Amino acid sequence: MVEFLNGTLTLFGDPTAVMLFGLGLIGGMLFGAIPGVNMLTLGAVLLPFTINMEPNHAVMLFSVIYCAGVFGGAITAILFNIPGAPENAPTCFDGYPMTVQGKSGKAIGAAVSCSAIGGVASAVVMMAATPLIAGWAVRAFGPQEIFALIFFGLAVSASVGAETLWKGWLSVFAGLMIATIGTDPVGGVPRFNGGSLMGFEFSSYYLSAGIHFIPMILGFFAVSEVFVQAMSIAEGKRKRPKANLEFPSLLEFWSVRFTMLRSMFLGFFAGILPGIGATLAAFLGYSQAVRWSKTPERFGKGELAGVVASETANNSATGAAMIPLLALGLPGGALTAMIMGIFQIHGMEPGPLIFINSSDLVWVTFAAMFWANLCIVALGWLQTKTVVHILNVPFRWLAPGILLLATIGAFALRNLTIDVWVMFLAGAIGFFLRRTGYSAAGIVLGLILGKLGESAFAKSMQLMDYDFLGFFSRPIAAFLLVAAVLTVASSIWNEVRGHKLQKALMD
Amino acid sequence: MSSSDNRPDGQTLTVSISPLFSTPVLEWLFWLVLAGTLYALTDNFDEPIAEYRFGASGWPRVLCAAVAFGATAQLLYKLTRKHAMPVEPSGQSENQADEAAPPVLSLGSKLQRAGVFATPFVYLYVMPEIGFYVATPFFILAILLLLEVRSLKALAAVTAVVYGLVLLIFTRLFYVALPVGRIESFYDLNNWIIGLVRIGM
Repeated sequence: MVEFLNGTLTLFGDPTAVMLFGLGLIGGMLFGAIPGVNMLTLGAVLLPFTINMEPNHAVMLFSVIYCAGVFGGAITAILFNIPGAPENAPTCFDGYPMTVQGKSGKAIGAAVSCSAIGGVASAVVMMAATPLIAGWAVRAFGPQEIFALIFFGLAVSASVGAETLWKGWLSVFAGLMIATIGTDPVGGVPRFNGGSLMGFEFSSYYLSAGIHFIPMILGFFAVSEVFVQAMSIAEGKRKRPKANLEFPSLLEFWSVRFTMLRSMFLGFFAGILPGIGATLAAFLGYSQAVRWSKTPERFGKGELAGVVASETANNSATGAAMIPLLALGLPGGALTAMIMGIFQIHGMEPGPLIFINSSDLVWVTFAAMFWANLCIVALGWLQTKTVVHILNVPFRWLAPGILLLATIGAFALRNLTIDVWVMFLAGAIGFFLRRTGYSAAGIVLGLILGKLGESAFAKSMQLMDYDFLGFFSRPIAAFLLVAAVLTVASSIWNEVRGHKLQKALMD
Repeated sequence: MSSSDNRPDGQTLTVSISPLFSTPVLEWLFWLVLAGTLYALTDNFDEPIAEYRFGASGWPRVLCAAVAFGATAQLLYKLTRKHAMPVEPSGQSENQADEAAPPVLSLGSKLQRAGVFATPFVYLYVMPEIGFYVATPFFILAILLLLEVRSLKALAAVTAVVYGLVLLIFTRLFYVALPVGRIESFYDLNNWIIGLVRIGM
């Protein structure tokens, strides 16, 4: 409590911090709400500029963007059927039908309130739990556990955002393959940057440094969205949805109280798992809301509880996602990976020691996330009143600005035009991936966790003298590996059973 | 090519066969060629590393195998599913097929779609030569035109606002170093624009 108060005083006693807090809050909400860009775009554009910021300010700014952006993404999900981020995807299921029915105000109102409630609850638990987990992690987490944890995270996240389990896994494998470009983490041997293939010689200095994830994220999320929207315009399919400002009543909120509580718990649990965080949280929250509802047939057709479940769960995961990042140095998603990037830029190592070496930074971040979630209620209400006017700006006017922001963000990273080429190529690939049911989120997760996973695997092998069974001599690693294998097996079983059920129904 | 079967309720089931092997097999081949190519490339760095038995190529090779396995599993799953899955009863299929059918695009629309993809790459190709500050207004205009903005006022206003904001935020406030071009006259022009934006600083 004392640390939280100190963090709050440090945050609001520093004019630069207050300015960045406001910028992160408004920027996250706006970028989340404007179609074609999201919190990742803002994060990626701002990341190069954090080099000149104090680490406290930079990490706090990105944490606030994370909270505000996860909520902001709900606006586009509800109004345009475009999730601002993968974690807002289930919000589309009922949010967009509500908009079509002229209930966009109710859907956005529910999203504002539930995001704030989920986020505040999560921030409180995070403050209470992170130091404990960090202390425990020092003793319990070695390379074996980190590898097992990454494997488990990838196992659960594989099918998120993909049409089928197989496409999800192939997306993750593609991301892991891209992560191998550069140098190997053990001996520093250059990989895929030159050599010969069937008599054809090639070499590239650019590839020696590996493919940076920021141009990839910008391409997969921002540029591909512009391409998707542009195609809709070319095909004459793009329709502007209706919008109104009627909020849900207290009675309506009361009727979904259990959905909210359940989603809060599920969101926090899922958020702790690295590699998935808020995305799995939102899907879990939604699927459990359907499972426990007395009227499951109404889901997907404009059910308020669907929006409540998804938005409570994904914001509950934001605080929880900071736990593996701060306590173990494992990012739970693209934006937390950027926060990890900030640590690396400033020569800091996220992990258990951060609570000892940089406790100021940790508590300012916690306080900022708590207050940001509270501010979402007020600003979200104001935003709902004003966002309708922003939505009146035609997308075709916004598109050049989105592409330019992405171009500058990719270029400013290392002052390399080739990073911008990578971004636009990722955008084109992302467009086709989305059309063919592959998951851009899966590729990005594979790319982000690949290097870390390989490094942990190599260290584990060296420590265990290349005995694979050594993983099972460590309880946590064994538990996580078994859980990962069971997750993979059950998802394959569900996929095949779904197929058999479908066949039986047809027969 | 398709086969039909009469059901007891009088509706006809149509099992589509021709797309069975086309897309899934092509998809499978794509992944297999990709995995094979990457596997072949690992020979270039198949060097032993002191105290690490699997070397630099071990991890990428496992991933190549995983890609091949995943693609094959996907192919088998799709083929068995497609063989088993009947198309909607024929009474409904025509209407639904009409709804689901991709729109027939005119040559103009096709060029427009190609232009949306090509323009960013043309911009990127030209930018290092003529500089960001000269290329960008044309890029904004091109994107607007491709997105069917035809009003002269809108074209001028959006270009001015977007270009103005970019100059203000990234050149004047954040001092972001953007390409100024390699061709001498464009290099001078870009630097003149930067000087203009930073007047008074």
